[in-house]
Amino acid sequence: MYGWNGKILRIDLTRGTQKVEELPAYLMREYIGGRAMGDRILFDEIDPRIDALSPENKLIFLTGPLTGTGAPAASRFIVTAKSPLSNCVSSPCCGGYFGPNLKYSGWDVVIFEGKSPEPVYITIQNERVDFHPAKHMWGMESAETEKEIRHEMKKMYNLDNWALNSMGIADIGPAGENLVRFAAIMSDGGRAAGRSGLGAVMGSKNLKALAALGTGQVNIYDPEGFRRAVMDFYKEGRDTGEFYKRRRFGTWGLPGRANASKSQATNNFKSGYSEAFVKYEDPEVTRALIRVRDEACFSCPFSCGKRSRIKDPEYPLTAKGPEHETMALLGANCGLGDMEDICRANYLCNELGMDTITAGTMISCAMELFEEGYLPEKDLGFPLEFGNTNMFKLLKMIAHREGIGDLMAEGGWAFASKYGHAELFMGIKGMGIPAWHPQAFDALGLQYATCNTGGAHTKSTMPFYEGRKDPAYFVEFTKKDQDYICMADSGVLCWIIYHGPLWGEKLSEWLHYVTGSDQTKEDLDRLGERVWNLERLFNMKAGLAGKMDQLPPRITTEPRVKNRIVPLDDLLVEYYKWRGWDQNGVPTKEKLKELGLEKEGEGVI
Amino acid sequence: MRIKIDHKICTGCKQCEIACSLAHTGSVNPWRSRIRVFVGEDFCLPVIAGPYTEAACNSLGIRMVEGIEVDACVICRASCPAKSVYKEPDTGIPLKCDFCGDPPNPQCVQWCAPNALTLEED
Repeated sequence: MYGWNGKILRIDLTRGTQKVEELPAYLMREYIGGRAMGDRILFDEIDPRIDALSPENKLIFLTGPLTGTGAPAASRFIVTAKSPLSNCVSSPCCGGYFGPNLKYSGWDVVIFEGKSPEPVYITIQNERVDFHPAKHMWGMESAETEKEIRHEMKKMYNLDNWALNSMGIADIGPAGENLVRFAAIMSDGGRAAGRSGLGAVMGSKNLKALAALGTGQVNIYDPEGFRRAVMDFYKEGRDTGEFYKRRRFGTWGLPGRANASKSQATNNFKSGYSEAFVKYEDPEVTRALIRVRDEACFSCPFSCGKRSRIKDPEYPLTAKGPEHETMALLGANCGLGDMEDICRANYLCNELGMDTITAGTMISCAMELFEEGYLPEKDLGFPLEFGNTNMFKLLKMIAHREGIGDLMAEGGWAFASKYGHAELFMGIKGMGIPAWHPQAFDALGLQYATCNTGGAHTKSTMPFYEGRKDPAYFVEFTKKDQDYICMADSGVLCWIIYHGPLWGEKLSEWLHYVTGSDQTKEDLDRLGERVWNLERLFNMKAGLAGKMDQLPPRITTEPRVKNRIVPLDDLLVEYYKWRGWDQNGVPTKEKLKELGLEKEGEGVI
Repeated sequence: MRIKIDHKICTGCKQCEIACSLAHTGSVNPWRSRIRVFVGEDFCLPVIAGPYTEAACNSLGIRMVEGIEVDACVICRASCPAKSVYKEPDTGIPLKCDFCGDPPNPQCVQWCAPNALTLEED
């Protein structure tokens, strides 16, 4: 078999058993891998109405046919489960070395069911899968956990330094253990499958970590053609300067861009321009200030990851990040203007295992509640104006569920409505809004609001490119990009490299060389549309309907940026038309018939 | 000809491992590669497989390389029985870099996007 391994590993945590299954051919052909395959398995195997933190929820780790093949920027793995934050289907994605190791171990899919009676961690070494007690690791932070696991594996399996260095680990920090609803699954000491709180699902299963060390191989359908295609891609990347730009600045070039377009989320989305970030508009400044070296995910020539250093004895020598989303949400949006403080906040969130985006919107919400006088200081224990570094304390309190952190760990709406102002939490379907202020571009508001997993910035191409910001076309592009990214996430390719205008046509090419498939871009887009509709049906079965496609009132009623609001209701009408859905955002029978999802739609339409 | 390694700009993407295994085996498996990258916190170190040796080892302990502490076993290029790398995972047959034929055309150098690996005339 080319590309795929064709095997599913099913682990029952309740009984501590494991089972090997064949990967059905239709899943490979029609759902490719990653996100689409995960959605399908989840749709088939769980009742969407269950509580996301109950043992009935399933946690699925997936790779795609391209993972670990050397196709540029194809190192990623997907985690799928029902989200405890948004109650939607969710499929966050993470790079690093874990995905390829899972693939080289000979598995495409690992499904976790039930709940372990005691904390465990699981090691996968090719076909050998072992359970180990993790009681002594419970409470450990993310990097410490990885260190401990490597230490134990060295002793147990007599592994040498090379083997320990090659392996990949996905784990949770204290936030995941304490079921914080926006906890992340961490990997490689600072990468995260972050959005939508799957760390809490992992914690609810008493699963501390999953370590993979694979020494197997992936077969390539046309090795010579593949090699030539990669060389052509490299030439293009060098000629257009994409390699250079991304390697030099990663996402640090974006604060300047955001300020210039007035889309920098600032002070809980009160503004689209951050005074404090003016000094970081030139990415060279950030680079000179904190960068140590460039760090790539497995098989990625772009290496947009940056290792950074801050001069603070409390923090270890170097750490990953911060990326732009973190800089914006934990920085500008909380009123922090100092890069070293942002690094501290980023480091804390990574170690505690929390999504920096939702954590940022939670903190900024608390800050606004405090400044407006709705949140009394005695509840917090300390003052918390915008820009106050007491937020570090609050981050720790959330992760450990201490004091007011216990309430905040339940998510933004629960917290803000307790203090009578749910509208001050800037979230969509419960998930915090990403770094870009939607009022700067209408298209952004539409993309965020209609996203199946909640307020996510990685599920459609950002509207900074030709056509995608043109009012005549952006609704159409929103739909097309959403469908396309479903498939990019299924490959699994890195969204940030392969979004629409850059290398959108490459997916079918890589798939052809690696798997021998002859699916064209149009075929894949059709499959993508089906996945998007399948996710929609899952969400509807879970109890969310079209009315969930909403933005916070601040975005739709208060003109904060460029004196504009997002005319969401008008946009939704047009968007639903493009989707072939009715005016409530429910897929029509005809549409489902066209996509072959009639059976899946039964009971909701 | 020599392959020059600049560990300061290596990003740890391991495309060289993939290129090597793809060129020599037609499939992708870093464990069958003749070059491996050791990813440290503050450095990445590509190490190219040298000759096989059965000799008792004296490269143990920690060495300092340009201010970085490195395990001497990691920077040793020898393909030896004590290491898990530079050998076929199934058969244990040792591997050695062959510069991808004659004239030399090392695939790892071609695939190295940051140019941490370069081919130099002697």
